[in-house]
Amino acid sequence: MSELAIRRGAPPALAIEGLGYAYPHAERPALQEVSLTVAPGEFTLLAGRSASGKSTLLKAACGLVPHFHGGEVEGSVAVAGLDALAAGPGELAAAVGYVAQDPETQVVSTTVASELELPLEMRGDAPADRARAVEEVALALAIPHLLERAVDTLSGGELQRVALAAALVTRPRLVLLDEPTSQLDPVAGDELIWLLRRLNEEWGVAVLLAEHRLERCLAAADRVVAMADGRIGFDGAPAEFLGWAQGVDPALETPAARLFSLAGLEPLPVGVRAARRALDSAGAQPPIETGAKVAYGATNAPPPPSGANVRDGRANAPITPVPHPGKVRGPRSRPPDPTIFSANALWVERERGDETVDVLRGIDLTIRRGERVALMGRNGAGKSTLFRAAAGLLEPVAGKVEAPAGIALLTQNPGDYLVRERVADELPGPAGAAALAAVGLEHAADADPRDLSGGERQRLALAIALAGRMEGDQLPGLVALDEPTRGMDRGRKDDLVGLICRLVGGGAGVVVATHDVEFAAAFASRVVLLGDGVVIADGAAADVLSGGWYFATEVARVLDLPGIVTPEQGAAALLSPEADR
Amino acid sequence: MRSPFAYTPRNRPLQAASPGAAVAYLGALLVVAFLYSNPLVLVAAGAAAAVAGRLAGARGAVRAALWMGLTLALLIVLVNALVVDRGETVLMRLGDWPWLGRVDITLESLVAGAVIGLRALVAILVFAVYSACVDPDRVLRALRPLAGRSALTATLVSRLVPVAAADAARLRDAAALRGPGAAAVGRAALARRLLAGSLDRSVDVAATLELRGYSLEAPRARRQRRRSRYDRRFHLVGAVVLAAAIAGKVAGADELHTYPTVEVGLSAATLAVSAVVAASGLAPLRRRSRRRARAAARPGRSVPTLEAGGV
Repeated sequence: MSELAIRRGAPPALAIEGLGYAYPHAERPALQEVSLTVAPGEFTLLAGRSASGKSTLLKAACGLVPHFHGGEVEGSVAVAGLDALAAGPGELAAAVGYVAQDPETQVVSTTVASELELPLEMRGDAPADRARAVEEVALALAIPHLLERAVDTLSGGELQRVALAAALVTRPRLVLLDEPTSQLDPVAGDELIWLLRRLNEEWGVAVLLAEHRLERCLAAADRVVAMADGRIGFDGAPAEFLGWAQGVDPALETPAARLFSLAGLEPLPVGVRAARRALDSAGAQPPIETGAKVAYGATNAPPPPSGANVRDGRANAPITPVPHPGKVRGPRSRPPDPTIFSANALWVERERGDETVDVLRGIDLTIRRGERVALMGRNGAGKSTLFRAAAGLLEPVAGKVEAPAGIALLTQNPGDYLVRERVADELPGPAGAAALAAVGLEHAADADPRDLSGGERQRLALAIALAGRMEGDQLPGLVALDEPTRGMDRGRKDDLVGLICRLVGGGAGVVVATHDVEFAAAFASRVVLLGDGVVIADGAAADVLSGGWYFATEVARVLDLPGIVTPEQGAAALLSPEADR
Repeated sequence: MRSPFAYTPRNRPLQAASPGAAVAYLGALLVVAFLYSNPLVLVAAGAAAAVAGRLAGARGAVRAALWMGLTLALLIVLVNALVVDRGETVLMRLGDWPWLGRVDITLESLVAGAVIGLRALVAILVFAVYSACVDPDRVLRALRPLAGRSALTATLVSRLVPVAAADAARLRDAAALRGPGAAAVGRAALARRLLAGSLDRSVDVAATLELRGYSLEAPRARRQRRRSRYDRRFHLVGAVVLAAAIAGKVAGADELHTYPTVEVGLSAATLAVSAVVAASGLAPLRRRSRRRARAAARPGRSVPTLEAGGV
């Protein structure tokens, strides 16, 4: 138990001892020999790859496992002194709040006020107490204006806040969050993390937060617990975690840590501020010139900056050149022209609640073959609406939208495309086989889609969208992916970058709507930033992602250099001769 | 797109009233619709429901209910005219029809069908206003002590309906976005997929209910809600409508004979009941305070509001 636990006799917010758990009919256990204690008021980050056991651990901590899901369990779980294996989720609700990934199924009432009042009413609180608690939690989460709204008129970000408020309204000792920022834009995601930190500091709520995008929350955490194959692989301070990740599972490294690691600098920073301070104190000033002078992907790395704390051998080791997708050139059998997507003065309106609003307001946008475009912007900025208009699902009220060489659109839920029990039944004939080959799934023709991994299911859904839109093995002009990285760990994101390069190599243009700036930096050659239905920035990815604060990568925020957005670029900049002068 | 019948919170008397008061008021109109056949009283009940809905801000629900109700009423009139050959005033002779035999359209069968259709229209209007203006959460929570499992099931279903509607819209979009070379997806396959997804969704929603403590038995005394200042008004209006309807029925206000010839009673009792029922539609009227009314009458002066920092 950490120092924070010393609270004069208060039981730990969470005490797990030797927990093992297997879901019903599962071949192998989801959790094995997990022992973990979370002190009152501690902010713990739960890291790990997909399917490492993070969500199951959270469900065990709130009583859903085993009471709701069944299965075999061993060991003990205590929440604020209550035996979670004996008490059900209802009894634990006063001590623990739980916020799952999908906010849509986490609201059960008609209005926000009713939703917040429900747990208090179930607990038997008096009306006056309920009114006060609802008011206070609404104020804490900045949602008093939503109280009288119907829940089915809220945006995803608003729903996520309401779900969090409902989890907090009983003033629980512990709040559990399962990737709460996965559907939020960078602004809302940052706001949510710092809101959690504030509640943690001011209300003393212990927080156990499972998250893939560690760069968002590592700096806010007191402690990191990393899961691997259902076991705890690491348990310690954030700075120590970065060292562990570097050696054991580099996919869990944050971009800033990877920047330092590639540049041979120590200690690895837990956030932007720590990285800047470390660079300042080390005297490692990156070149002030623009990114054009950066020795990108240099193989003959220069000596490290003077004064930097360099680990043996690391700084002098040559940096492996990491080809940016911008350098990737696939076979281009089509003529180079061309415009594969154009929107001219495009206006689209949609109904929101009782009113009709202009979601796209006079958009002008052109995309050409071979481009890899990241479409970014806040929740509700119009990204999905633009895709839906391009695919013909929405009729513009003014202007024109065209995709003359065809468009294959993969929406946010790939599972929606899968309706049969055999891959080949989804994609019959030569057109289906060609589509499967285009996404590298030709080997899975006889598999049941449910047996495929998450990444493979996404590829299959894309193949379904592509089938019949290809001329021979030629892809349609535009492949559009709407928020494809939700809930993905870095390994799967890297696979997706590979798939995008493959599609571009096959002659398509690819446009991806995403909130993930690190992913955008990894795959995109161009970034289009939408704001309130209009294009507010459109340029090279390196320029757009290094020119702001929210829509900028962690490396860009650390180095603040034009054109430097990835750890590899940043390390090359730090190690370039200009950095020494 | 939201259904026009979906409950929308509004700062109006009918929405602010407790579920019991709102149900008593709207229920009285429904009782009138099923108790009476006299077209004048039925029209008064329909008008009252429509006015109440408009005053409560449920304009969309009233419009949609009128559209649905009139369509249904026309259908009933048509079917009744074709299948009932009673009545002395023959308007059209349509000869022999398969299964129906000789078909004569009579004025009496048209009127009888119109009365049934009118009753259906009033019922639809009342339910539409109820659906759009009475918070289902409050109704379900009021029912929970009486029938816990039924309330739980109803809560689950009421949440699953919009979730399933959103899922269905997404599945339809995904089906439309399938490439022409992919296997076509029919309605049956989509329905199967939606059902499978709904089972998963229902598990998630049930888990959330469990986490909110829905399975706990709360102390009954503390569940008491504060009453709305409009409760008395709606209870009173409901009681008056019900009393007038019963008294009118006893006094012969529901006089209507459709066969063999149409005779519609327009007695003083009928007129009185109709007037009371029609006037009940004004119950959701929000009365402005005298101070506010005076301020509104004087240009250039405004009453401070809470939003503006007033007390």
